[in-house]
Amino acid sequence: MKMVTTYEEYEAVDLFADWDAKTQPIINLINLRKWFPVSQQSVLFSRVVAQIKAVDGVKLFLNKGETLGLVGESGCGKSTTARVISKLEEPTEGSVYFKGIDVFQPMTREEELSIKRQLQMVFQDPYSSLNPRRMVLDLIKEPFDIHYPDMAYEEKESRVLEILAKVGLEDYHALRYPHEFSGGQRQRIGIARALAIHPEVILLDEPVSALDVSVQAQILNLLHDLQLDFNLTFMFIAHDLSVIKHVSDRVAVMYLGKIMEMTPTGDLFRKTAHPYSVSLLSAIPRPDPRIKMDRIILEGDVPSPINPPSGCPFHPRCYKAQEICNQKTPMLEEIEPDHYVSCHFPEI
Amino acid sequence: MKPILDVSELSTYFYTESGVVEALDGVSFDVRPGEPVGVVGESGCGKTVTGKSILRILDKNGSIVAGKIFYKGINLVDLPDLQMRKIRGKEISMIFQDPMTSLNPIFKVEDQMIEVIALHRKCKKDEAKQIAIDSLELVGIPEAEKRIIDYPHQFSGGMRQRILIARALALRPSLLIADEPTTALDVTIQAQVLEIIKEMQQRLGLAMMLITHNLGVVAEITKRVHIFYGGRVVESGATEDIFLDPKHPYTRALFDSIPSLEKDKTRLETIPGTVPRLINPPKGCRFHPRCKYATEVCSRVRPPEISFGKERRVACHHFEELDLHVDEELFVKQATVKEEV
Ligand SMILES: Nc1ncnc2c1ncn2[C@@H]1O[C@H](COP(=O)(O)OP(=O)(O)OP(=O)(O)O)[C@@H](O)[C@H]1O
Ligand SMILES: Nc1ncnc2c1ncn2[C@@H]1O[C@H](COP(=O)(O)OP(=O)(O)O)[C@@H](O)[C@H]1O
Ligand code: SF4
Ligand code: SF4
Ligand SMILES: [Mg+2]
Ligand SMILES: [Mg+2]
Repeated sequence: MKMVTTYEEYEAVDLFADWDAKTQPIINLINLRKWFPVSQQSVLFSRVVAQIKAVDGVKLFLNKGETLGLVGESGCGKSTTARVISKLEEPTEGSVYFKGIDVFQPMTREEELSIKRQLQMVFQDPYSSLNPRRMVLDLIKEPFDIHYPDMAYEEKESRVLEILAKVGLEDYHALRYPHEFSGGQRQRIGIARALAIHPEVILLDEPVSALDVSVQAQILNLLHDLQLDFNLTFMFIAHDLSVIKHVSDRVAVMYLGKIMEMTPTGDLFRKTAHPYSVSLLSAIPRPDPRIKMDRIILEGDVPSPINPPSGCPFHPRCYKAQEICNQKTPMLEEIEPDHYVSCHFPEI
Repeated sequence: MKPILDVSELSTYFYTESGVVEALDGVSFDVRPGEPVGVVGESGCGKTVTGKSILRILDKNGSIVAGKIFYKGINLVDLPDLQMRKIRGKEISMIFQDPMTSLNPIFKVEDQMIEVIALHRKCKKDEAKQIAIDSLELVGIPEAEKRIIDYPHQFSGGMRQRILIARALALRPSLLIADEPTTALDVTIQAQVLEIIKEMQQRLGLAMMLITHNLGVVAEITKRVHIFYGGRVVESGATEDIFLDPKHPYTRALFDSIPSLEKDKTRLETIPGTVPRLINPPKGCRFHPRCKYATEVCSRVRPPEISFGKERRVACHHFEELDLHVDEELFVKQATVKEEV
């Protein structure tokens, strides 16, 4: 085996020569399904009584260098989608392509590691996602240990300090433990960890939801700067549409395991096409006392993903539903360039 | 109009192993009859402690160390326990921040509503149950009569929040303290619950203290607002005035740091550092370590609360010189601060 000794040499290993960043998405999900079985335990055996259809036929793509916002209410399958892309879960059906390669096809360990190196994830909860018994130095060094085992300790250490500075932390923070940090600082550590080995894509699962607004602004600006510095591609998961609007180039709106609408950010607000997107936008309380809105108040709750409604999953709550909506599931279609909608009667 | 609730110079401390937490330090504000008032601020600034101080239900290690809380002219701070008990739930009731913990999972909804009603109204169980059912119907629980015997986990998050509202309103209190009543909810459910709160407030002529960090919710529901920072009130006034023209550097920075649907994708203004710890909090103005206008005096002297206009109050040494006034039309855009400052 060839000994690779410097960081740069590792980067030179490229398994994705066939992939063309200009014409192909960096991540492409095709009819992705992730169902979690619900089983009933008895003394002798356990049997599967139902399926939680957390992700149920997701189609979406991510272009190199962009930020795709993934928005939806809790439980709609955002985190699960990200976890499948990161290979933390096996899909029940469908495929995940990374630079044109189906990541769930058999591959060599080298290929596997190469994808892991280029694709990192920042987790939802800054409090539980960091191992409390490990110092920040070790937490951020870990990706180097995995991906660059031969790298000299000194080099790893200096790279950790470099990355800490990038996310706005100080050298002395390296020797502290997670519990000694505030929520915002922990989120910086999570980002540093994801960033350490210079990935191309970072999946950010609600990176600011647990933070105070003044700290949230710091992290949003930090992510913006890092994206420019490192030419990063982001998938940014959030349930706050104002945050999504602020960070995203394109937005995908998710409901009950499916993508309802995917479009450039401006169009989501100017040319909202899907009735669910319309309702979501209208539900947000605006921080301007002069705006008096005629709200669309959706009735009822989000149905359970164990027994999602037939046809269009939104039909029991939709103000536009017709007979066909509970019989035929609308497909995600491109109704105008780069504007994808799954609805039988889109608003435009 | 005379306020129904008048909190003056309230200080509440907690005694912990690592020191004294000065959770509230000379907090003054009021709520008028029938008026929805917002209490706004970031995590840990003392919003919940304020609510709990008013009802005198602080955790054991905490106590009110100074100040007065006048409710309908009576100072609650030194009211005997027995009388205080008559006020809780009947005159003033509170919806707590965490919907999961504030309904006990092992008791049926009726068990969690009827007893309090029977106690205060001195009525029979049946009568109390009817009051509970009426209240549940009022907030839009379908088939309340049947569902009152269900357990909390049999309801969705939005429904549980309605039950809490129904319970808080069952005895028709004059003042409702609602602590982040929609924070844990999804936006479409939040919209439903806000609608209920708004309707109840208007229909019952409730005075309401709405605690939240969501500026959208405040703008929608309240007429006046008190901005908290680090255990103190930094700015008070009519909601519309404060949103159009925030005066205090913290309020200003808070507004600029939220991404909004109206703003374009720009860099957000940030406030450096984090919210202060309240054990040994910063001297002088508690915001001074993070304030870009801080001068020497700010780190030494607590800024006085200066009143002006109809009902505006700002606690800052420099706000008049800063002239942070923003053009009406441009208020959602970046404010430019005068060069000479
Ligand atoms: N039992 C307690 N012991 C010690 N400190 C406490 C206790 N309860 C509250 N505090 C402290 O008092 C301060 C104010 O807390 P409070 O719960 O009022 O914040 P809040 O404004 O409601 O914040 P949030 O938005 O997170 O609910 C905080 O510094 C908090 O840590
Ligand atoms: N490991 C799991 N086992 C069973 N159900 C799960 C698991 N992970 C997620 N789910 C369920 O899948 C649905 C989608 O969850 P999630 O992707 O976490 O939603 P989101 O991130 O959009 O809030 C939810 O109903 C959730 O309870
Ligand atoms: S398909 Fe029918 S039910 Fe679904 S969103 Fe469109 S109109 Fe509404
Ligand atoms: S008193 Fe000083 S530190 Fe405090 S807000 Fe005003 S200018 Fe800033
Ligand atoms: Mg999630
Ligand atoms: Mg609180």
